[in-house]
Amino acid sequence: MISELFEYKFIVNSLLAGILASISCGIIGTYIVTRRMVFLSGGITHSSFGGIGLGYYLGFNPIISAAIFGVLSALGIEFVSKRTNVREDSAIGILWSFGMAVGIMFVFLTPGYAPNLMSYLFGSILTVSTLDILLMSGLSIILILVFTLFYRIILFVSYDQEYAKTHNIAVSFINYFLIALVALTIVLNIKVVGIILVISLLTIPQSVANLFTKKFQNIIVFSIVIALIGAFMGLIISYQINIPSGASIIFSLVMIFLLAKLFLILKRSFRLSKQGD
Amino acid sequence: MGKILELKSVSAGYDDEVILKNVSLEIFDDDFIGIIGPNGGGKTTLLHVILGLIKPFKGTIEFFSDNQHERNNKIGYLPQINKIDKKFPITVEEVVLSGLIYGSDIFGRFSKLQKKQANKTLKRVGICDMRDLTIGELSGGQIQKVLLARAIVSSPRLLILDEPNTFVDNQFEGELYEILKELNNEMAIIIVSHDVGTISSYIKTIACVNRDLHYHKSNKISEEQLAIYNCPIKLITHGDVPHTVLQKHNHS
Repeated sequence: MISELFEYKFIVNSLLAGILASISCGIIGTYIVTRRMVFLSGGITHSSFGGIGLGYYLGFNPIISAAIFGVLSALGIEFVSKRTNVREDSAIGILWSFGMAVGIMFVFLTPGYAPNLMSYLFGSILTVSTLDILLMSGLSIILILVFTLFYRIILFVSYDQEYAKTHNIAVSFINYFLIALVALTIVLNIKVVGIILVISLLTIPQSVANLFTKKFQNIIVFSIVIALIGAFMGLIISYQINIPSGASIIFSLVMIFLLAKLFLILKRSFRLSKQGD
Repeated sequence: MGKILELKSVSAGYDDEVILKNVSLEIFDDDFIGIIGPNGGGKTTLLHVILGLIKPFKGTIEFFSDNQHERNNKIGYLPQINKIDKKFPITVEEVVLSGLIYGSDIFGRFSKLQKKQANKTLKRVGICDMRDLTIGELSGGQIQKVLLARAIVSSPRLLILDEPNTFVDNQFEGELYEILKELNNEMAIIIVSHDVGTISSYIKTIACVNRDLHYHKSNKISEEQLAIYNCPIKLITHGDVPHTVLQKHNHS
């Protein structure tokens, strides 16, 4: 029966998408969480909806226009918060809602019914196309290369920007470059878990990993593994009871988080009671 | 005694606000300067100018070198500890190695020699056994030692410390000053501190910064000085702490 399932191209594609999403979100999520950029990432995610709406309206692949929209808003937020007097979180709030507003406007201006809108909001891993897989593979390769070759520089700049600047490191270039990668990661994973839920794929695996390890590179590796488990569990649930994959993946991840937490609590109380003897 | 750097009538600040006005200062190889002054008076701005983090609006900053060493390798910097994210997943060894990033290759990899150097520095500040811990597992004083190790690992010509005695216990403070005293044989030191009572017995000269800068070529400090600068400092001392009163001086 398993081999029968694999004959379906869309099952293979969705499995590949799950693997690629785990890799990209494991890496970028660790960067986001340790740099405390979760809110910023939420802003990029939602503003990219403007790009999806624009794609619908102009009649081309919404993921491409969302990528452009997402990267531009990411660079814009970084610029506004560093170079102007606007507070960073306010800038994020403005772009967050502006992107959603633009998206809704274009969707409603588009003649006819927008068929896949729900799949962009809540994810639909089963509709991932071959183009999506190619884009996600390219992104994963870039991320792996960047984060292995430049691991120390990224780590040092993330830890203490001011110090890195006193050592003549191109801190702002690195920040712009990495935030563009954050935006691309978010947009390319929208198909898998959806706009509303993508932030969880960037934070829950990292939070679980952080329960067991405190080292940056270990958090990346653990997060990828945890995201993989969550993605496969979610896919099975999604397929079995026919619900959006995003919801079932996030549900699985939170269950993993709770189990991990429970495991640690039990372990600690076991150790304490042993000491008590 | 070589000159390390010279500021000539520097005015500096952030955005459009001028904080430092017309400041001139020379720093030499064996200097141990204590910088005091009220909050918002420009102590950190002065450090930022010297570190190259901001460009002065007016005036010049010039670096002098006896050999071809790069300028940025020559200043070690210990930032205020509250600027550091204590939950960031980075190990003690990694933090110290980041002080050598300027000498690493483009990918940020380090040679065996550099790792040895990092180890030696950790030993020197007395936290070698914590090398593989992450900074979240350390106390405030221990984090300060890690940051100090990062600042001196590249054997800089000038060491700059921004309020190194906040959030640390008295024992660490004593250890810190002993280490600094020893380091002063190898490098010039600038220390910003609100706690003049303790540092005055270690430093050689005092610079008061309150918009402008007044440089005292001695480590004595007067009550008038404190009054003029409205310095928020501890004046409580015990027993035999040496204290001398400086003559009155006017700021023009």
